[in-house]
Amino acid sequence: MTEQDIRDDFFRTRDATALLARRTERVDALVRNRWAGMPEGLALVAVGGYGRAELFPYSDVDLLILTPDEDMQRVIREPLALYLRDLWDEGLRISQSVHTPQECNHIDATNAELAVSLLDRRFLAGNEALFRQIRDPKPELGRDIVALTKERYERFQSTIYHLEPNVKDAPGGLRDLQVLRWLGKLGAGDQDLPTGVPLLFRIRCFLHYLAGRDDNKFTFERQDEIAALDGAASPEELMRAYYRAVRKIAKLATRRLDRFESKRSSLFSQFRDRTSRLSNSEFSVIHGGIFFRSAQTLEADPGLLLRLFDFAGRHGLPLAPDTEERVERAVPAFEKWVAANQPVWPAFRAILRQPKGGKALRAMLETGALSAIFPELREMEALVIRDFYHRYTVDEHTMVAIESILGLREAGAEGRKGDGFCDLALETNDLDLLVTALLFHDVGKGDPETGHVVISRRIAEAALSRSGISERALGVVSFLIDAHLEMSSAMNGRDISEPATARDVAARAGTVERLRLLTLLTYGDISAVHPAAMTPWRRQLLWRLYAATYAELTRELTERATAAEAAAVLHENIGPELRRFLEGLPPRYLRIHSREEIEEHFRLDRESESRDAAVSLTRSAEWVLSVVAKDRPFLFASIAAALSSFGLNILKAEAFSNAHGKVIDTFAFADPARGLELNPDEAGQVTRTVLRAIRGEVKVEQLLARRARVKPDPHALAQARVHFDNTASPGATLIEMVTQDRPGLLYDVAALISRAGGNIEIVLVDTEAKKAIDVFYVTKAGAKLTDDEAAELTGQVAEIARGF
Amino acid sequence: MKKIEAVVQPFKMEEVKEALKNIGVDGMTISEVRGHGRQKGHKEVYRGQEYNVDLLPKVKFELVIPDARLDEVVETLTAAARSGKIGDGKIFVYDVAEAIRIRNGDRGDAAV
Repeated sequence: MTEQDIRDDFFRTRDATALLARRTERVDALVRNRWAGMPEGLALVAVGGYGRAELFPYSDVDLLILTPDEDMQRVIREPLALYLRDLWDEGLRISQSVHTPQECNHIDATNAELAVSLLDRRFLAGNEALFRQIRDPKPELGRDIVALTKERYERFQSTIYHLEPNVKDAPGGLRDLQVLRWLGKLGAGDQDLPTGVPLLFRIRCFLHYLAGRDDNKFTFERQDEIAALDGAASPEELMRAYYRAVRKIAKLATRRLDRFESKRSSLFSQFRDRTSRLSNSEFSVIHGGIFFRSAQTLEADPGLLLRLFDFAGRHGLPLAPDTEERVERAVPAFEKWVAANQPVWPAFRAILRQPKGGKALRAMLETGALSAIFPELREMEALVIRDFYHRYTVDEHTMVAIESILGLREAGAEGRKGDGFCDLALETNDLDLLVTALLFHDVGKGDPETGHVVISRRIAEAALSRSGISERALGVVSFLIDAHLEMSSAMNGRDISEPATARDVAARAGTVERLRLLTLLTYGDISAVHPAAMTPWRRQLLWRLYAATYAELTRELTERATAAEAAAVLHENIGPELRRFLEGLPPRYLRIHSREEIEEHFRLDRESESRDAAVSLTRSAEWVLSVVAKDRPFLFASIAAALSSFGLNILKAEAFSNAHGKVIDTFAFADPARGLELNPDEAGQVTRTVLRAIRGEVKVEQLLARRARVKPDPHALAQARVHFDNTASPGATLIEMVTQDRPGLLYDVAALISRAGGNIEIVLVDTEAKKAIDVFYVTKAGAKLTDDEAAELTGQVAEIARGF
Repeated sequence: MKKIEAVVQPFKMEEVKEALKNIGVDGMTISEVRGHGRQKGHKEVYRGQEYNVDLLPKVKFELVIPDARLDEVVETLTAAARSGKIGDGKIFVYDVAEAIRIRNGDRGDAAV
């Protein structure tokens, strides 16, 4: 058979295995025939890919010529040159080496590649006894293979999901198959090959023939050509099949490498053994991997999977290979279970909120458990969207985006020197919603007709509503998906120093909290385009846009909406009394409260007419106290003190006032001692005490004597920051404080401001992971503080922030 | 031949690129750069704290064109990059001694 015959046959049958066998046969015959004239005593050996009998159309033919001793190597120089020349003339690309068996057996790091190629040696002609003198390499060679493989993985960012992959060298490619076999030969695991290999063989054969050389890059152009040649429905389908095959190989290879590594490192095994103490009644941790305690439980209770990933997210541990396989087998039953046992959102959200939730999410994606919860996500599995910039498939892009944001948070939490973005990630309390939004943000990309933003949002809304997400959470997720391109398009197409740009982004974001999330989402989305996409240059552009928009939203806070504007925000016809109530409230108030909440505040407003103040206490995700009262000095401080006296932990608080001297205060708080939950009378007690505190009927100092104590954290206190800003708002001085949270902190600061004659116009209080981030908008006699007054007050607040 | 180096506002990148394409200039090198001209750095405020912005993000275009097209290209570039405000950027023009296309050795105007 000629090369042309072999080629024609392959294009007809697409049988790569037959092609490889025929080429090997043909080349074997050629190299053996010509060998006849060579001096006696030598051995001709096939190594590398040729040794394995896997000669792709344009692969090098690796030959090893064995000589009994080094002297012989000089003698054969000339006949060998002639021999090789003849083979070149036959059109073979020969890559030869000449060694003695002793040299082959002496393996060190400098000739690891030779040693590896010897693993696939095959005798061809000459002195077979000499060939037999080559011994199998020692298992230590595995170390070199692991190191070489890791280096190779890093060259490809350790992901299989490249849009234009290299079918030989990329993770999961043909090289990994060889790694599996080599490690198998060295005694680390079996040598069985995963399925999906024939497809990879076929693709590589086509690539070689189409390029006319040893070119393994699977470019878009080649994807189109090969899809047609291979009878695939479309290039996208071909690529999905490709990624499925490669994923299996990569998974096996990674496991094998890990196993090999962990056998060796004693430090690593010590760590692993420590993790075994994390085992509980359902899961055990052995050698650092998670196992099910009992094999049967999963069939009886598919919901166990959610607890498994929760456990994985809490401890940041991987599933053991055996567990992964069980999970994969259980996925169909789990999907039915999820459908019958909605809502699963609370459990899913809990996984995302775990310290290593990103790792759990990755494991869920890879085992298929994630798409069992949200089958809609299958749309983006191994989905190739071709454009000039993106490097990964949609699912991988999504995970890289999520991981880059979680990475920011980790960097911030560990106190590693980060920048403003790390702070943003630490300050948001809705990172789980951001991750959820990212999970769905590009899911509509498979639909080329409509814009993907709208489709993605619709898909997310359907999937998440079914899983029982709260209305507020869904609002945040929908907003993020809808707006996910806004900031990057503003960065690219608009002048950031132009006030209109910040104004437009601010109008879109609405609140500082949403702006924070949108900025982080944009950060993740850009970072996941390709490894070098988030340049310092882009970081700076994004940060300037964030800062400008933040300033705009801050300035807007002291703007007072007219009744007509307020009505416009609510999009509804409202009665004259409600209009009057809303008059003068800042736009933020209207944006953060739902229509129902506003109606409730309005009801409290009417109730407060007769007795100065009205209070209501409700419970959803957290307890919320709403107060509407006539403004008076110390009002906010008194309420804060009353809540603290019950051991309640204020998480968020806001105070706004309208044009008619009414203050609307809301306090969201946690009830760590569960007093409110366990004592039916306690709620009444709390509201009565708050009312008495507002009316001045109870001494605040008395209340505070009862407050809980916590241990000061010197590190957090040393990092406390307080500063004022007299430029951000046209009507008020901003005093911002970031410090360790503690009971009564809010009271102490609010009382200090009131004692200094300041009027607290607006308060935004947020706590995140024991850190309090409070902003007070202060006026004195209806105007801003002077710089001197502000500086003095700031100094006093700083003492409270740093003291305890 | 002339080499044109233009440092422009990032948000003007697409506009400039399109304008050049429209007059038949396709070959160009674009890079993300940071710098400042006479406007120097300035201070921005975030949460009441001032921070210095000394180097502002800009985009740099580099293109080599035949002498005869210089005025047309510079005019097009200026018009597309202008917003009329501080920080719009600068255009520099250099003489180019020779241009060679690596693939086939073409020289001079034929190579650009």
